[in-house]
Amino acid sequence: MKTIKGLLATVAVSAICATSASAADIAIIGGKSDDAFFAKIARGIDDATLVVEAHGGSVNYLQLQTYDNIGGDAANLVRIAISQGVDIIAVPNWVPDAQDEAIQAAMDAGIPVILYNAGGGDKAEELGAINYIGNEEYPAGLAGGEYFASHGATNVICVNTVPGAGNLEDRCRGIADGMAASGFTSEQLPLPASSFGDPTAVAEAIKATLLGDESIDGVFVISSADADAAFIAMQQAGKTETVALGSFDMNVAGLERIRDGEQLFAIDQQPWLQGFLAVTLADGYVNYGLAMATTPLLTGPGIVDLSNIDATLKGGELGYR
Amino acid sequence: MKNLSIGNLLRRPEAGAFLGLVTVVVFFLIFGGLSFLKPAGIASWLNVAANIGIIAIPVGLLMIAGELDISIGSMIPAGSMIVAIMSGHYDLPMWISVIAVLGFGAVVGAINGFLVVRTAVPSLIVTLGTLFAVAGLVLGLSVLITGTTSVAIKAPAFYKAIFGQFIGGTYQVLILWWIAFAAIYIFFVHFSKYGNWIFAIGGDRESARNAGIPTTKVTITLFMLSASSAAFVGMCQALLFNSAQVSAGMSYIFNVIISVVVGGVLLTGGFGSVIGIIFGTITLAVVTQGIYFTSFDRNWSSLIIGVMLLLAVLMNNTFRQMALNYSPKKK
Repeated sequence: MKTIKGLLATVAVSAICATSASAADIAIIGGKSDDAFFAKIARGIDDATLVVEAHGGSVNYLQLQTYDNIGGDAANLVRIAISQGVDIIAVPNWVPDAQDEAIQAAMDAGIPVILYNAGGGDKAEELGAINYIGNEEYPAGLAGGEYFASHGATNVICVNTVPGAGNLEDRCRGIADGMAASGFTSEQLPLPASSFGDPTAVAEAIKATLLGDESIDGVFVISSADADAAFIAMQQAGKTETVALGSFDMNVAGLERIRDGEQLFAIDQQPWLQGFLAVTLADGYVNYGLAMATTPLLTGPGIVDLSNIDATLKGGELGYR
Repeated sequence: MKNLSIGNLLRRPEAGAFLGLVTVVVFFLIFGGLSFLKPAGIASWLNVAANIGIIAIPVGLLMIAGELDISIGSMIPAGSMIVAIMSGHYDLPMWISVIAVLGFGAVVGAINGFLVVRTAVPSLIVTLGTLFAVAGLVLGLSVLITGTTSVAIKAPAFYKAIFGQFIGGTYQVLILWWIAFAAIYIFFVHFSKYGNWIFAIGGDRESARNAGIPTTKVTITLFMLSASSAAFVGMCQALLFNSAQVSAGMSYIFNVIISVVVGGVLLTGGFGSVIGIIFGTITLAVVTQGIYFTSFDRNWSSLIIGVMLLLAVLMNNTFRQMALNYSPKKK
């Protein structure tokens, strides 16, 4: 009897909660729960959720399970968010071909969309999204390529472990063009998405490439976990003196490598800010009609190297950078 | 139907799968609210179920016949990439790409089936080899031909409508294909002699052959069906999402086998039903998508999925034991 009463009470309470006039119900779509980069975005989302809930709203964090079919899965999650009748959707536009239709369907259903982490300001304007918060990938890659060239690298490989994601392809394109501006070369090494998060697979692939081509003197990776794997690959290939390592995003291990001179630099896009701002701006827009006057809101790129490592390392140890 | 009573319905092979489905739906209704069963909410799990379901039925039939096919994990991206490269990159007419996709599926399935019946190698190992071989083929050819691992494709309106449209903006047209395929499979498996052949092969291959059943033909046909279904789903996904990815199918291996097992098919073969597989597919889809409608901390979602699936399978086992041990009361 008690359990039935309890069940009925839960159903009644959830029915009441569903019908009460609530503030912003935000759906935010993000990467895998065990992705170290998205863990920092999730930290930003959790911190912003405190404000949203103080206003009486809710945040539904829809996470991808795998990166095997990143565009299609993200489009499905957008449609799930539409089916939940949320007030606003925040989504990264990784594969515009696959996701634009779903984003358009959301806006046709009267749900505003805010882009973050991937997509760029131009794409946000084209779709009619409120804003874009994040990085412009191509300029970030360009800055990285120029940094490599100005620090002595002549042949850089750009290791892409989530090929097909537009923002990551743009990074490698930027590196190639940044190097080309000084007359040097860069090639992309695409690894299948199933090796994302598998340090052994990534390390072995990079090691084989380094051993097979003596002229490579720079390795650029698109995530902090890949940087750990790349460093192991460089050690095993005996190339830590001759090859420079640069990464997109960083973790504590990477920051310590920069401090100790084992890694050349990292490009920072401040993921905590991306998650925090995406949710906060979404909440402000729905509740009070607030919107930033500038689009896009760029959280990067910033270059972290020996010159600014100390403050960054402190933030990294707290899980915010 | 003779003897239509509650008892007889409960003793059908699908009963456990059906009650498992009802349990998980009730669970997510309580914790996720009613939006789960509104038309738009239904689309969220029905879309996933259709994608898995079209592949799960032939794989389930193979499991009933005592074989396993895990090469579907790379047949899905193979189907996507073939249609994307032929019609997106090379601009060939769409009907040629459709035939190429289904033909490639039939060829790989025939290779699988031939190797399984001709050699003594277990089907798990044969299809494991095909899984990696096709994955490497797709990755290598796509980088060789297009230079990237993700290819965009804009389908002409007619083909987009039959393979890749969202009906009413939310329901994938694959759901209709799934219903059509399911109806055909149910007819052939449960209302014709071919179904009996499959169950007989699963029970004991040697006795089945001695009884005159063409076991090699049936096995090879089933492998061809499963590989072609996977390639078909991959093609539809490429047309639905306007782009093809090289690695898009690996998670399907697990999901398809889980759907089949939750649907009441024994891993050892010889028992199961197509309707059970359908219920199992819907159960899996509900469990993996229902999490998004609840307010549980997302970090626990894998735990919840695992527990729900265990409950569904336990319920299946209980009902199968009851059904197999039943004897009518003596009057």
